[in-house]
Amino acid sequence: MRGLTVFIADIRNCRVRELEEKRINKEMANIRTKFKEGSLSGYDKKKYVCKLLYMYILGWDVDFGHMEAVNLISSSKYSEKQIGYLGVTLLMHENSDLVRLVVNSIRKDLDDNNEIHNCLALHAIANIGGREMAEALAGDVHRLLVSPNSKSFVKKKAALTMLRLFRKHPDVIPAPDWAERITNIIDDYDLGVCLSVTSLITALAQQYPEAFMMAIPKAITRLHKVIVERDFSADYVYYKIPIPWLQIKLLRLLQYFPPTEDPNMSEMLHNVLQTIINNSQETPRNVQHNNAQNAILFEAINLAIHLDCESDIVRQATNILARFILSRETNVRYLGLETMAHLAAVTDELDEIKKHEETIILSLRDKDISVRRRGLDLLYSMCDVTNVKTIVSELIRYLHIADYALREEMVLKIAIMTEKYATEYSWYVDVILQLISSAGDHVGEEVWYRVVQIVTNHESLQEYSAKMVLHYMRSPHCHENMLKVGGYILGEYGHLIANLPGASPIEQFNTLHARFGLCSLATRALLLSTYIKFVNLFPEIKGAILAVFNQYRHVLDAELQQRACEYMAIATMPTDDLLQTVCEEMPQFTERESALLSRLNEKTNQTEDKRTWNIGGKDSNEKTPANLLAAKENKENGSVDDLVAGVNGATISATGGATEEAAQGTNGAAATASSAATPAAPAAKAGLTWKDQLAPGHEVWYNRLRDGSDGVLYEDSILQIGIKSEYHGHLGRVAMYFGNKTHSQLNSFAVTVEAPEGLVVVNSHTLATSIGPSTQIQQLYSLECQQIPTEVPLIRISYQAGSMQSIYLKLPVTLTRFLEPIQLSSADFFARWKQIGGAPREAQSIFKSTEKINLERARAVLVNNRLGICENVDPKPGNFVATAVFNTSLNGKVGCLLRLEPNRDTDMYRLTIRTTSDVVSKHLKEILHTALL
Amino acid sequence: MPINYVLLVSRQGKIRLAKWFTTLSPKEKTKIIKDVTQLVLSRRTRMCNFLEYKDTKVIYRRYASLFFITGVDTSDNELLTLEVIHRYVEVLDRYFGNVSELDLIFNFQRAYFILDELLLAGEMQESSKKTVLRVITQMDAMEEEEAKEEKE
Repeated sequence: MRGLTVFIADIRNCRVRELEEKRINKEMANIRTKFKEGSLSGYDKKKYVCKLLYMYILGWDVDFGHMEAVNLISSSKYSEKQIGYLGVTLLMHENSDLVRLVVNSIRKDLDDNNEIHNCLALHAIANIGGREMAEALAGDVHRLLVSPNSKSFVKKKAALTMLRLFRKHPDVIPAPDWAERITNIIDDYDLGVCLSVTSLITALAQQYPEAFMMAIPKAITRLHKVIVERDFSADYVYYKIPIPWLQIKLLRLLQYFPPTEDPNMSEMLHNVLQTIINNSQETPRNVQHNNAQNAILFEAINLAIHLDCESDIVRQATNILARFILSRETNVRYLGLETMAHLAAVTDELDEIKKHEETIILSLRDKDISVRRRGLDLLYSMCDVTNVKTIVSELIRYLHIADYALREEMVLKIAIMTEKYATEYSWYVDVILQLISSAGDHVGEEVWYRVVQIVTNHESLQEYSAKMVLHYMRSPHCHENMLKVGGYILGEYGHLIANLPGASPIEQFNTLHARFGLCSLATRALLLSTYIKFVNLFPEIKGAILAVFNQYRHVLDAELQQRACEYMAIATMPTDDLLQTVCEEMPQFTERESALLSRLNEKTNQTEDKRTWNIGGKDSNEKTPANLLAAKENKENGSVDDLVAGVNGATISATGGATEEAAQGTNGAAATASSAATPAAPAAKAGLTWKDQLAPGHEVWYNRLRDGSDGVLYEDSILQIGIKSEYHGHLGRVAMYFGNKTHSQLNSFAVTVEAPEGLVVVNSHTLATSIGPSTQIQQLYSLECQQIPTEVPLIRISYQAGSMQSIYLKLPVTLTRFLEPIQLSSADFFARWKQIGGAPREAQSIFKSTEKINLERARAVLVNNRLGICENVDPKPGNFVATAVFNTSLNGKVGCLLRLEPNRDTDMYRLTIRTTSDVVSKHLKEILHTALL
Repeated sequence: MPINYVLLVSRQGKIRLAKWFTTLSPKEKTKIIKDVTQLVLSRRTRMCNFLEYKDTKVIYRRYASLFFITGVDTSDNELLTLEVIHRYVEVLDRYFGNVSELDLIFNFQRAYFILDELLLAGEMQESSKKTVLRVITQMDAMEEEEAKEEKE
């Protein structure tokens, strides 16, 4: 095509952009006219489409010529067809309207007897791959893939085309139905076909592991053939290595399945891996040979780690990796660190890796940021209790010189490691404060929120942190984030240090206020709140603070103005009652997944193939961000004298999900120890369930609290247990108070809750393990009603008084606590009543009241059980109609309708309940039945 | 573990070939091309061939005046992707006979056709140099025949 060559040469001669633009515009105008005139020969059309494509590649906008490309596709000449397809794939994308026009041409080429045309059509589908194409053509592609008549080069393309369609629209491909025929192709004589189909299976097997199980033996056999038996065609040798792409695909495929249980297969696989390790000792002849060899080695190590991270092969691999991270070649260092991070992320045995700690820390100073990143990942993965101090202090040192792009991630990781592996709280506070002061701008909000949460939840930390934060705020370069932490902590715990030299109330206030004017509005608002707390804590500096409020009453910003006015008003009231209530100490935060981890996980999102492992310690690979100092603390407590108590405190059982698994670790490990340490422990070893051991007389207290009121749940000569609760929708909060009535300390105190299925109970903090004489301690529980709980939670309280005592109680958290009363009109009520209909969603009971029927009492029972009484719905006076909605977080809402018909002559009740769930109907009936008796 | 895109960029930052294996809007494509080109061109010679860009890895290698750049998922095997690039260069070299940037400018469509034979859906389709060249030569022969017919 001479015209094209001339045009390209012309463009190349344009030395400045303006000239190029001029030339392009001229050509575009020319082509537009030619296309408009029509009746172009195939050759001309092809030439012009080519010119358009060239302009497109240079980055110019091409908004016409699509139709001409589509026309070329149906040409009988191969060269024109080929350019037509190229044009379509470059200019169109899957959502283009024109796709519809090409589907038919493509189908025709797929059905053509000429394989070359089949190939062009397959390319087009693989390159565009929209839903419309997938739906119309997936069947044809499958036919070309599995047909015994298909030539190898068509099969290869069909396999990958199907892969592309599956990735975009997995629902269109009935993969499990096709699994067997597709999997059989792994045995194909042609290595190219085998390679393509393995890629396809790798994607399908991640979605349908069951259906593709049979690929395991086939993959192993094929690997064995190529690697151990060295059976392959010479065409596929790449720098002395037989088809490295296939080897790696197969090694990767096996990582998506659990290790095979067939002993023959696993021996074959072991041979394969051992051969790869042995081969890697060979000195490579050139870069290509080296890369291919190492690429396979790294993949083999990844597979070996997946199969058994304690195996002999992995041990050999660790030694090889240790050499790699010292390599002079940057690529090898990079990959060595990456693979070692994989090993560190899944293994329990970190000792081998720890030997190289120094080298790894040095890699943070590598010339290449890519290597530095890998070093950081590895340090993060290999961190545990023993080396956390070294690693964190190295990282903090490095932070000052680290790349800007890396700093935020580093700060996050340091904060997480510190929290996760800290053995002393004071160290945790030191590190975080140091972090905030030295990398302030890179410290996300989450980091300072978290430190506040932890300080609030751990009493022992409060004084120390107040002292430290005051110290940091006095340094000349105090970051605003430090001021936020300082504002919060001093406002809450400033009084704890007020007697220390240099920390008197007015000095605390001056330290904060010195920087007030330089802060953002949000920080100033926070500080105003601190000041009102100061008014409460330190009446002696009230004057200075009132002056600030007074000044800010006239500031322009609405938020600040409002706070200043309100605080001023509260502070100048005649009595301090309101001030004291408002400034009461903050309650503890409920334990939840650290916001830091969720932030970090956000950063590592998946794209196409699933990762076979995640960066981070072992727990991040078990999907349990088991974290928090809390758990740690329990472990430590356990190792001191209070084994039982510490451990029990840790295991609020059935908290569901992450915490549960985390807790079980401690629980299981210490269970044996606890029985050894305190043989007197009557813990339900005899196989008694908690229910069988409920404290005598518990029913009396329980029944009194059943309607949700606050009061005493249990009392004996030693202990008094009180309960307070509130509910909203599917959530609830229960505060429990444990009072020691004796004049001596109660030791080894522990509380465990057993929640029924469907209800999640989480405690807010770790309870103290002892209660002083005549004192009371408190525990808060958050409840979440996920499904329909058919039982109430049980609680076990144990303590040491001479011997171990245990008390088992029921918590008055019935299903009705999660009801929300509503009111319905008569018409609505009966419409729904009919809609729900009779059994099984209706539950009815007719029973005799134990005492004379009292309508007011019956009404109170309904109201206390959170049902909304609808007046004037039932025509007969004295009958009750009530409605409510039952809330769950996972199963949605359940509407509840009720009719209660008392017969005062016979003292009988007829209770009828209809709800949208038969389980709820049944339980609601039982609860109300008992309550009305 | 698919390749998401292949870019051929000259040392001056001119695009010589851009092949996308995932669906992206023109705006996203322009952004990736701009960012990645900048990152790669600013790296020095002794550095490794991998770098991170957002949630993907960029794997590149320089041949004379041209950078061959690929974008892959983070879970991909880096070294092997590097060898995919090398295989592509080898095939180009064999086909054009000591390939130069000019060959790829004037025969850009061929560069695309050859890539199509090597990679499909972002996966290695055929790693045998011989097989790829055989298919391409066959295409050329058909084209020549058609050109001859046209003249007559």
